[in-house]
Order: sequence, then C-alpha cells, then structure tokens
Amino acid sequence: MMPEVHASGIIEYDTSGGSKMAKVGIIANPQSGKDIRRLVAHGTVIDNLEKVNIVKRLILGLEAVGIEEVVIMPDTFCIGERAIEDLGKKYSLKTKTSVLEMRIEGSQEDSQKAAKIMAEEDVGCIITLGGDGTNRVVARGCGRVPIAPVSTGTNNVFPTMMEGTIMGLAAGVVARRLVRLDEVCFQSKRLSIIKNKKEVDSAFVDVVVCKDVFVGSRAIWDMNKIFRIVTTRGEPTNIGMSAIGGFFHPISVFEDKGHSIKIGKGNLKVKAPISPGIVEWVDVEKFEVISVGDSVRVLQKPSILALDGEREVEVSENDEVSIRLLRDGPLVVDVNKVMNAAVNKGFFTA
Amino acid sequence: MELSKEQLIEMYKKMVQIRKFEERVVKLFADGKIPGFVHLYIGEEAIAVGACSAIEPKDYITSTHRGHGHLIAKGGKIDLMMAEILGKATGYCKGKGGSMHIADVDLGILGANGIVGGGFTIAAGAGLSAKMRGTDQVTLCFFGDGASNQTTFHEGINMASIWNLPVVFICENNQYGISLHQSRHQRVADVSDRAVAYGIPGVTVDGNDVVAVYEAVNEAVKRARNGEGPTLIECKTYRHRGHFEGDPVVYRSENEFNEWLKKDPIPRFEEKLTEMGVLSKKEVDEINEWAVKIIDEAVEFALNSPEPELESAVRDVYTDIIEEVRK
Repeated sequence: MMPEVHASGIIEYDTSGGSKMAKVGIIANPQSGKDIRRLVAHGTVIDNLEKVNIVKRLILGLEAVGIEEVVIMPDTFCIGERAIEDLGKKYSLKTKTSVLEMRIEGSQEDSQKAAKIMAEEDVGCIITLGGDGTNRVVARGCGRVPIAPVSTGTNNVFPTMMEGTIMGLAAGVVARRLVRLDEVCFQSKRLSIIKNKKEVDSAFVDVVVCKDVFVGSRAIWDMNKIFRIVTTRGEPTNIGMSAIGGFFHPISVFEDKGHSIKIGKGNLKVKAPISPGIVEWVDVEKFEVISVGDSVRVLQKPSILALDGEREVEVSENDEVSIRLLRDGPLVVDVNKVMNAAVNKGFFTA
Repeated sequence: MELSKEQLIEMYKKMVQIRKFEERVVKLFADGKIPGFVHLYIGEEAIAVGACSAIEPKDYITSTHRGHGHLIAKGGKIDLMMAEILGKATGYCKGKGGSMHIADVDLGILGANGIVGGGFTIAAGAGLSAKMRGTDQVTLCFFGDGASNQTTFHEGINMASIWNLPVVFICENNQYGISLHQSRHQRVADVSDRAVAYGIPGVTVDGNDVVAVYEAVNEAVKRARNGEGPTLIECKTYRHRGHFEGDPVVYRSENEFNEWLKKDPIPRFEEKLTEMGVLSKKEVDEINEWAVKIIDEAVEFALNSPEPELESAVRDVYTDIIEEVRK
C-alpha cells in the first residue's frame, strides 16, 4: 500500500512493517550534467561511464539489504545494461536485475515514462541519477513512490551528492519498509505553473522568470536576464537561484513557505552562489515569503519560465500565467534518517 | 549578448539559403550535372548558422566533407560554390576541387575537407597562428561523430588544450558515421564526454535549435578570446539525406527519420520567429523566394561558365615545383 496524502500535507503510511515490496527502480539520466553551465560556470562533470559505476554500487547496496529485484530505465548509453553486464562478470547476484522494456526517445520523456511504469510495477522506491531537472521529470510519473535522488547534475538542490552504495542501502531499507516512511521521508513542495487556467508544468525547487524569449540552451546563468524567482525552499547550503532566498531568509523543505523575489535595484543586496563556482552580489528589489496555497502572477511578458534551472515554459503577451506553491510534490527519502533509523533498529548488526 | 531582431532574421535567411542551395544540389546531382560526390547538409543548418553567428568576419572555420552549410554560413560566395560543385573554371578551385575542397581564405574559410577528421590539426594550427600573431581571432572546427574516432581528434584537441589555443571544436553528431550508428562506433553516447580527457569544458546542446547552438558557441568564443583555451561543443542533430547523394539509406528506419523530421530546425525557428512577430508569413515567403532567386542566379552563372582547360589540371597543384620541372 502506498502512502496516502491528505490536503494538509500529512502523510499516512502502511505501518505493517512488512517487507513484501522488495523491488527498486533506477532512473539514470544519460543527459544530466552536460549543459552549458560547464562553460559559463564550473559545473560538475560526471560522464556516463561514471553513472554506470554509480548504478553498479547502487545495485550492490540494494542487494546487501535483501532487495529481490532491480529494474533500470533503458537509455541511449545503455547505463543499465553495462552495469548489469559488468557486475555479472564478477558476482553472482541474488538480486534480479533487468532493464525495463520500453521504447526510448532519447528525451526527458523517457524518465517520466520509466517512472510511471515503475510505479505501476509497485517498486518500493525509485533511485534517480541526475540533477534538479531529472527529478522534476521523474516526479511527473512516479506517483506516490518515494524518490531517492543521487546528484549527477549541475545546480542541485533536490538531489544530494551521495555515495551510490549508501543510497542503495537506504533505498533498499525504504523499499522493504523496514522503517516507517513517515519517519524517514518528507513530502516535497511543488510550484504549479498555471497557464491560461490550465496546469502546464511543475517545479520542485524554483521557477525563474527570465527575459529570454528562447528556450535555447535551456540553462540560466545571467542575473541580468532575470525578473523574478519563486522558490519552494532555499537554504544557505544550496546552490543556484534558490540560494538567493536561502542566503538571507532560509526556508527549509519542512516549512509550508516559499520565496517570491523580484530581482532589481532596491534596498537589499545578497551575496549568493548562483551557479557552481559563481558567488556574486544580487540586487533584490522586493522580497516576500509566500505560503502554501499562494499564487504569484507572472507580469513580465514575453518571458520564459525556467523550471528547476531549465528554460521550459514560454509566456507570450496574451498568456495569463501564475505560479502556485503547493505541498503535494513527490516523497523524498532522507538518507541520514533512513540509515540512522536502520542502525537504531539493529539491521546492520548481528 | 542579446540577439537583435536583425540578427535573428539574418540567421533565418542563412538557414533558408543553405536549405535551398542543398535542395538544388539534390536536383542537379539527380540530373547528372555534378561530377564526383556530394554530401548534403539538409537538417543540420542550425549548427553552421548558430555557430557562425557567434563569430566575426576576421575569425576562421575549418569544415568537412559535408561543408556547404558551413561555407554559406561564413559568407562563402554562392555562385563560386555552385560553379565549383559543377566543376566549372569559374569555381572556387577553378573547377578542379569540387564540393569537398572549397576554401576562401580571405573570408576565413580554411577549407572543406575530403579527409574525415582533417580539420582538427588545421584548426589547431590556425589557433596557434592567431596566438603567435597576438590577434584575438578564434577558429571554429566543425566535425562529425565519426571523425571523433580519428587520431587527428586527439592530436588537434590535445595540442589546442595544452597550448590554450583559441579554438572551438564543434561536433555535429548526426548519429551516423556513413552507415554506422554512433552506438556501434564508439562507447560513449555523448562526444562531449571526451572533453574531460583534455582538461577542457565539454557541453552538449540541441543541434537543431539555432539559438541553443548560438548560446553555447558564443560562450565558448568568449572563453577563447579571453585566453581561456578551447571548448568542445557537441550538437545533436540528424542529416535528412543519406551520407552522400545516391546513398540508398538502408541502415536507418523510417520511424527514426520521421521522428527527427519533426525536429527540423528551419520550421522550428520559423514558427518561433513568426510567433514573436519578428517575421510575418509574408516576409517568410519573401525570404524563401529571395533564397531561390539567388540559387537560380548561381546555377545560371555556373552552367554558363566554361569547363576547365585540360592543361589546367596540373596548375595550382604545387606552388613553384611544376614550373621548375617544366624548365
């Protein structure tokens, strides 16, 4: 049974402590970490062969906690196939491993489709390898399955830099429901994009209203092109646009709040890490704390909305667009909590 | 750097001009008017135009066997190109080089190239020359996914990286090396992954989005002019025609082709420009008519031009040696 989410954002869980769901999905985005921020900033470089290595370590971690089956999204680089083949040369794994049978397009739709199939196949947890952008797409398809996000992208707030072995162990513990989900997962917030009265997309960290009129190379890096930033969160340990809020008024994942920040000359200046290696002063014209349920209208037209760091939604002169903060995003695994809970229950001792 | 309305229109015009040029070459080849091989650029126009829009006339490019698009984007003369492709004495190489050897050094076009991967070391050399002369000229080196397996890829990029040369290496990953899909000729899916081996930045962009290409190349050119060295940019794209004209293209599915056709860079850009009000439908039609007219004139010029004389076959092959031999 998957957890039910009430309008209040409180999650109810299966507390039977059963270990019947012993299947985990892995979605590794072969495109993450290759965008233009390697030119304009100093973004992390994680090539696809390293993603194969991470998937291998995830599988070994998952096997160590008794996961029976692992399914992996197919992709153009064959990350899953390579990991399975390499492990097969060295180990005789008890965990059954396979790559999902699905047609791939080589686009972000693959991640969404894979997440949906995995949710339908009742996986107990989906591990993602990617950045904020990857997780945004996975969240569209995963339903109520908890996400365990490993960072292999550029500006990452949603996923964390985490050793694959540890993430495998944690995701396995979660998938087997060896700990209470309400103790080790949190329900993320979401920014719903309403365009002409219809929800067209979502973001889970921030929405940036840009002066650009082209989606172009997707990334955003030039503060001179930014009108407004709306966030679900922002803490002093974040990188990217949400850090601007986080560096003077931190809002955690747990608070039912977000930022709405108008960029421009005003009384406030914030020094924040807006991209990897780029820490600069940002002029803030107006700053507001918004609450879950609040909407922010997009007044700048034409413009482009960048969702979790990627230019996505075009706003023309005639469009009516608003950004609404909600508490109905995907469930996210808190690795520290999972591992501590598992240790406290003695799972790793004999 | 913001793109002005004029720049956007110029980019669109160049893309249309390349498309119309290539479509005419298809016809001329089918009619048996073209000697030798031609490799067409249809479907990849956004890369040449996006990249060349980010440089200045003083800068250089090195091109490939699929070079018509690069040459037009860098300002190559359409009539001289057409005459060369038709093997006429008025062509860029006096009708003796054909499609794969067109060059115009005055325009910074250091040559199309019949050798796959032939441009890497020429580009590194041009970069070294600019650096030694103390100019801020940048060289764009176009190449394909297949060429990234050639030894010259390593030599050229390694040299450019160790000497911090102002070169931007632009991979036009059209998925196939002749008839071999990329997944069968290299173990990486993104050629940009290879940048890490040279200690330089590598990025991947949508090669069918002219603005995406422009943005990436523009940033790489800034780095290069600033003395920060080379960059590797991979542009994902697809050629609509076969490897060469006459290729039966039995190695790829209709489904795959149709999927890529939906991402055709010209209708995409055209739709965006009309939506933005940069161009009206009428202006789009006028640009298309203008492009066809230029091609008509170029073909007429070429067809009316003389064939090269037989004795010219040994001229221009070596500099002074032939004359010395004759003496």
